[in-house]
This record gives sequence, C-alpha cells and structure tokens, in this order.
Amino acid sequence: MDNKMRDELLNLFRSKINRAMRYYLETCTRCGVCTEACHVYNSMGQTKYIAAYRHEIVRRLYKKYFKARGKIWPGFGEAKGLSDMTLEELFDAAYSCTGCRRCMVFCPFGIDTQMLMSIAKLMLIGANAEPEILTMLADTSIEKGKSLELFKESFLTGIKNLESEVVEKWKIEAGETAIPVDVEDADLLYVALAGAHSIIPAAVVFNAAREKWTLSFFEAVNFGAFVGDPTRTKLIMDRIIAEAKRLKVKEVCICECGTAYRVMKQLSGKQPFKVSSITEVQAGYIREGRIKLDKTKFTDTITYHDPCQIARNGGVIDEPRYILDNLTDNFRDLTPEPKYNWCCGGGGGLVALGDETLDFRMKSARVKVDQVKATEAKILATACENCHTQLSNLNDHYKMDVAVRFLSSMVADALLPQ
Amino acid sequence: MSEDIKVDKVLDLKGLPCPMPVVKVSKGIKDVEVGQVIEAHSTDPGSLTDFPAWARTSGNEILKTEQDGEVIKFYIKRNA
Repeated sequence: MDNKMRDELLNLFRSKINRAMRYYLETCTRCGVCTEACHVYNSMGQTKYIAAYRHEIVRRLYKKYFKARGKIWPGFGEAKGLSDMTLEELFDAAYSCTGCRRCMVFCPFGIDTQMLMSIAKLMLIGANAEPEILTMLADTSIEKGKSLELFKESFLTGIKNLESEVVEKWKIEAGETAIPVDVEDADLLYVALAGAHSIIPAAVVFNAAREKWTLSFFEAVNFGAFVGDPTRTKLIMDRIIAEAKRLKVKEVCICECGTAYRVMKQLSGKQPFKVSSITEVQAGYIREGRIKLDKTKFTDTITYHDPCQIARNGGVIDEPRYILDNLTDNFRDLTPEPKYNWCCGGGGGLVALGDETLDFRMKSARVKVDQVKATEAKILATACENCHTQLSNLNDHYKMDVAVRFLSSMVADALLPQ
Repeated sequence: MSEDIKVDKVLDLKGLPCPMPVVKVSKGIKDVEVGQVIEAHSTDPGSLTDFPAWARTSGNEILKTEQDGEVIKFYIKRNA
C-alpha cells in the first residue's frame, strides 16, 4: 500500500472518530464477557469471531496512528500499521459481523461493535475493497431517486398489476384505489420493498383499517448502510424524507425491513413526520379496534424471531407480541428473551450478497437453528426481509420443518370482516 | 425470445425476491462480451425500476422490456 492510499484511508478513519467512537476505541479491558455473545463465535468457535477480537483489528490502527504512545512505542498496546494484510483482516472482521449488537448488550461498557466495524467498512470503501454488489445496489437506489420521472411509469405499471390481488383479499369502496400512490395530504406514507409480498398484505391491512395512506415510489432498504457508506446512506434516506415532506404526511411507515427501519428511525433527524415500523402500525390498528383477527386461522404453534435492527436496536419488542396475542393462542416465545435473542445470521448485507455468503451464513447461525427448534413451533414468524430470507435458507439447510412467515402477511390472512 | 434481437445468454431470475434479480443480472452480464445481449426473466415487479436504474449506473443498455403474464423480460446489451 502506498503512502497516498494509507493517508486517504486514515483520513476516513479520522472522519469516524467522535466522542462515542473514542470511548469504544479506548475502553475495552478484554474482560471476555463478549466471547460467548456472538452467534458466529458460538456457532463456529473461532477466536477471530469474538467481538473483542474484531474490535482489536480497528483498535490497533487507532493506537498506531492516533495515539502518541502507539506512534512512539508501537509494540506497547499492540499498535499495528496499515497494510494490504490489514485490509484483509478488516474485511474479514466487518463482513462476518451482522451488526446485531448482541455483544453490546453483554459488554459491561456497552462497546458498540457495529460502530467499530463501520470504521472498517468505510476504509474498505476507500480502498475499493468493499463487496461491489452492495455499492452497486446502493447506487441503483440513488439513481432511482435522482431520475424518478424516468422510472415512474414502470413503477406505476408494476403497482397496477398488483391491485387485483389486493382487492381479492379485501374489498374496497367504489372510487377508491387499492394501492394509492403519490397522494398529497395522506396520513401515512408506506415505504415498502420492491416485491409484491411487501406491498400486497400491507395494502390489504391499510385498506381494512380505513387508513388514509399512500405508497412510496422508493424501496425502503438502505444498501448504503449495509456497505457502511454514510454519504450513500444519507442520499438513499433523503429520497424518502423529501417525498414525505412533499406529500405532507404525518407518518412514515417502514415495511418489514430491519435496516430500513433503524436507519429511518435513528438517522433521519428531526422531521415533520413520525417514523414507525409496520408492526407498530398494525398493532395500533388492533388496539384501536380498526381491524380484528381470526384466532382460528393459524392453529399450529407459532414462534417469533425478533429482527435485531427492529427489536434490540429499535425497541419494537412488545408490539409483535401484542399482534401474536390477538392472532393465536399457540404462541411460544424464543429463549433467551428478545434483548438477548440470537441474530438470524443474515444482517449487515450478508443476505444481499446471496450465494457468496450462503455457506458462512449457514455455519454461523447454528445457534439460531437450535433456538428455534427448542420451541417445537411449526410457524416461524418474523418482520424483516433479511431475516425471512436467512431463516428460509436455514430452514432448508437444517431441515427445520417450519413455515417461515412475515408477520404482516399473517395479519392480512387472518383479517375478519368488519 | 424477441425476434429482432439476437440473444447470447438467458438468465432465469423467476421467483427471486428483490434485490437478487438485479444482483444476478449485474453478475450475469459479465459472462457475455461487450456488445452481446442477455435476456433476463424476472417475476419481481421491482425489476421494472431496478433494472433501468442499474443499467444507467453501470453503463449498460436495456434494449427492450416485455411483459409476458407475470414474467418480465429484459433484453440488456453489455456496454461496459
């Protein structure tokens, strides 16, 4: 690595250092409490997957380049210079971490591994060593925001094709639109994923609840966050913020996508609308009596996987359980409790990388499989696209014999006529 | 297959959820030479916007889009 590249990468490192990051970089005492916390370490047993070990890959660079002692006496504190080898280590650490933050819950100092890995991810982008698929997906999202007029007609055609399926499940009044788009002064802007599965059940429930809603032109997922690029993350998020402001909605409801929800909820700043997950919105409809569910619809035992970005990192824990209480008498929660729930193993962009990461994802999530199997449930519900894909892959690989379902689609299937 | 376009490779992306169709097409296009054409079949409605946006950012060209029932067919020329 030449000096110019090294300096550029260190500037990227520097750009990530704030008060919180400095605390994470300087605090670890190597107490070892995080050792068993990581699903990857727990499933695969390799030292490099211990949270504190991941931290050290970044921390040694910090000591070498940002601390006087490391500059003068690098051997002390194991300060380490930046090399091509370090880039490989950074990649290995960052892209084997799903950012689930389970280790953070165990750490007595609350050290945020995801934040430390965001330094690694940003440096990898600077070195053109990030997974190019994630950057490509982020750029595709940004392009749609920049050139909306070019894609509007295709989008509307795609949506029109879905409307008959929505009406089949829930009749609407004459003159109403099954999937409203671009409605100014709607109360709620629903930001879905591109697939029909993310739009149809949600539309059915919105219509059943008589919601004054409109569908976003943009998909919710933020690939900029997966690849750890703050600029792309903001550009992708800003498309939705601008649309919500233009339509003057009161609420932006994010579909079943963990990263999309966390980014919008925690990074969008103060806005003239509130941000909710679809799970919160649907729980609210039940609580307010706007929809009622048929408890006889699902007779098999149901368990629920809390998506890390929505539950542990987003605080939405009671709402899915409230929905499930109204949906079934056969709900069996996972052990341990939601705060300590095992990650599915698919976050941090790993699922989006598809077959490239499949072997690792299967090996690294064995503890998740054991956790689900212990419930003996036949239906495994969740509220995140990444989790759903990963859990479906695990179901096939480990022959778990469960039906993996989106919670929102179960709500749509169990709607009682009002 | 479109009669007026010579296709060099067909990609079956039916049943794949977003973002896998665009992921597979971005990889699949590298299997043909610059100037050659792939025909991609997707059932994901998001492809209708994802593919054109990807083509613009990657420098490739969508020659034609056809809807055949649930299947959307894209004819994409590798330019880059």
